[in-house]
Amino acid sequence: MNENISSILKAVSKPGRYSGGEYGQIIKDKEKVKARFAFCFPDTYEIGMSNLGVRILYGVLNNEDDVWCERVYTPWVDMQEEMKKHGIPLTACESGDPLTAFDMIGFTLQYEMSYTNVLNMLDLAGLPLRSCDRDDSMPIIIGGGPCAYNPEPVADFFDLFNIGEGEEMLPELCRLYIKMKEEGSYTKEAYLHEAARSIEGIYVPSFYEVSYNEDGTIKAYTPKYDDIPTSIKKRIMTDMDKSYFPDKVVMPYIETVHDRIMLEVFRGCIRGCRFCQAGIIYRPVREKSPEVLNSQARCLFESTGYDEISLTSLSISDYTQLEELTDMLLEWTDENMVSLSLPSLRVDSFTKELMDKIASVRSSSLTFAPEAGSQRLRDVINKNVTEEDLLRAVNVAFEAGKNMVKLYFMQGLPTETYEDIEGIAILASHVIDAYYKCPTRNKAKKPQVTISVACFIPKPFTPFQWEAQDTLEMLAEKQEFLGSKITDRKIKFNHHDAKVSRIEAVLARGDRRLSDALELACREGFKFDAWDEYFDYDKWISVLERTGADPAFYANRAFGLDEVLPWDIIDCGVTKEFLRRERDKAYAENTTPNCREKCSGCGANRLGGERTCCPKLSKTEN
Amino acid sequence: MLSEVKQNGKLNEKRRVLALPELTPPRTVRLKFCKVGTLQYISHLDLQRTFNRIINRACLPVWYTKGFNPHIKLVFSTPLSVGAQSVCEYLDIRIDREMSCEEIKDRLNAEMTSEFYITEAYLPSSDFSEIAWASYDISITTGGASAELAAKAEKLLTTSPLMMIKKGKAGEKEVDIVKMIHSLTATFDESTGNVNIKATVRASSTEYLNPEFLITALKSNLSILGGDPKKEYYSIMRTVTLKEDMTEFR
Ligand code: SF4
Repeated sequence: MNENISSILKAVSKPGRYSGGEYGQIIKDKEKVKARFAFCFPDTYEIGMSNLGVRILYGVLNNEDDVWCERVYTPWVDMQEEMKKHGIPLTACESGDPLTAFDMIGFTLQYEMSYTNVLNMLDLAGLPLRSCDRDDSMPIIIGGGPCAYNPEPVADFFDLFNIGEGEEMLPELCRLYIKMKEEGSYTKEAYLHEAARSIEGIYVPSFYEVSYNEDGTIKAYTPKYDDIPTSIKKRIMTDMDKSYFPDKVVMPYIETVHDRIMLEVFRGCIRGCRFCQAGIIYRPVREKSPEVLNSQARCLFESTGYDEISLTSLSISDYTQLEELTDMLLEWTDENMVSLSLPSLRVDSFTKELMDKIASVRSSSLTFAPEAGSQRLRDVINKNVTEEDLLRAVNVAFEAGKNMVKLYFMQGLPTETYEDIEGIAILASHVIDAYYKCPTRNKAKKPQVTISVACFIPKPFTPFQWEAQDTLEMLAEKQEFLGSKITDRKIKFNHHDAKVSRIEAVLARGDRRLSDALELACREGFKFDAWDEYFDYDKWISVLERTGADPAFYANRAFGLDEVLPWDIIDCGVTKEFLRRERDKAYAENTTPNCREKCSGCGANRLGGERTCCPKLSKTEN
Repeated sequence: MLSEVKQNGKLNEKRRVLALPELTPPRTVRLKFCKVGTLQYISHLDLQRTFNRIINRACLPVWYTKGFNPHIKLVFSTPLSVGAQSVCEYLDIRIDREMSCEEIKDRLNAEMTSEFYITEAYLPSSDFSEIAWASYDISITTGGASAELAAKAEKLLTTSPLMMIKKGKAGEKEVDIVKMIHSLTATFDESTGNVNIKATVRASSTEYLNPEFLITALKSNLSILGGDPKKEYYSIMRTVTLKEDMTEFR
């Protein structure tokens, strides 16, 4: 720390968030490095430290001898007040230097509701919010992560975006920066131009002019230079076995959300649920081999001392060699008191054998996600699970003495009727019945089913990207209706705040014209909007209205099927035609087989990939 | 490809350690450690979790509790409050395989940092309940620091009664903190411009004076440390823990 802020740290909650000094942090000589990179996670330390992507990219960047990457998180509200009051700028954990001392600042955009924190952090750093107001002497601001697939609402604030996986892109950006600085050819404009021209996956929003139709929809994106791509293709790591893997991590002293080893088993998802963005943008599926995973897990155990390994991936039970992997791990984890956990399980893969191996399912509560209450609607969203699958899965759990089940659903899905909603209540009561029918149940306990209902949000790059979100009134009515159908005290019902979901929909499908609203939101002190206690719907509507943005235009309007979408400038590998076909099939209540059963020709195989289920392209098609 | 993932061989090391001669019953080893610098902001609970991982990395042959949820047994001496540093913290661990104290210390230090490390490992002959007093060095950087201020501070903190509200398990109660102070001196350091306090105060489990109380008393009675927090601050360092007879605890 450069300034003595001990008095302030002693006055705020959880000072360990700001003090740094963790085991495993990387310290370099700032006089010797040629590029300093501040990796910002726009949420609290506890959440940011738990992000696997940050762990990977921190390692990747620091692997470059002449680059020093440091971590930055959003200070909590009490700390921000102290910083404002005493003129302390936002600083990085490792060096304690202010963000203005850095060459590049990267933000990972994990969820739309963190956008206000991004602006809040730029503001705390004392940097102008808009790219056009930052000159050659200021750091380059880079965005990446899942929300960068529609970066338009925040496009004016960033100098460039990374589209896709950053393991190669970020070092390439640093190399180019160092090269141009050394040659003396660096200007911000020249750098951005060279990056856009020569590095695949780089989107420089200021190089594309957007024109609009009279009805407010987008007319066209026009590139400013003719040597930059007209569509930015996502970068992927083709061979996950060879992809960079962080063999050590920064060990937090204070408790974080995922304070354990996270073992990334594969990227992508074979399923293709039609509301799910992650399932599309991370295609194609690329697996790591169990030998490599086992070796990486051992390595991380040795370097961290963590006693829990979480196998992470979108639908972990789809891993083709889960048996082999868990067997290999159990060979050494048990004797070292290390437990295994799985974050998500599909009901159709939930078996007694799996349950016995995995610590996280040894707890008394199990979670499943049928997503919709009726078979009809589950077909519409392509959630290929049946009531039978669910009842079989809960039965396995009940037989093992468990009595609590959590079920996740979504409301407001396209084509949804009141019958589908009632189906949620019926499904829950069937789970209760199943408990009493199970002869080996824990007779001392009553069953408990918790149903959690989220609101459907139309997301870019999904078959439902064109759909209108239900209005607040409709969502409220449906919530009330479902509440009235649940009479059994053994069934607990919670639902998400529809107001948050509406703003999330606005930002998810927004275009560049929202930047005024976001700037105003920042000026008015918006922050931590992903946190219930700081989200204020009326204030959001007010900033949108005052900047001339209509929330219904973005959230509740069915986008035209041949409309130019704000995110059409990005090529995520999966074609718009495929999404369109999937949408039509949804309305026809037809399901699509998963990628392993049959390839549906989504287009993602154009990107390549090893240990994938995609058909290989012939040379001419590429 | 596989060779690119560097194993540092600790799993094999752990297996080797577990093959060492078994100790029954398990042996208690006392660790004396430093917790300074940024570590002052880490709470006692966080420290426990952190030690678990350090012990794992160090491949120590620790004894696990039996039962449904086996875990490492860690027993700490008098907890240190957040915001205070120390060069004399103690932790008892139990091992069930033969390993020398020196080796335990070296293995742990290989996994720790320059702000958080083991200074001694030995077989204890005393109990943490014997700790009665702790000495602190407190350094205050504040506007108006002078020899007079130091004299005033010393007078304030050594003149009974000095009543303060203490929050305990049984609610709030008023106590005379001077009665909990064994000795205290305050001096003005010309070279740094700081007021330095050396105090030895109660630190047993039944009677414990948080050194922060001394600061609170100074703040409210002498109106110091109220200005710009970047220019006015203090540090607290626990230097030694003592038994009732004022000999050093070990
Ligand atoms: S190309 Fe075929 S197999 Fe590959 S992700 Fe797309 S649909 Fe699935």
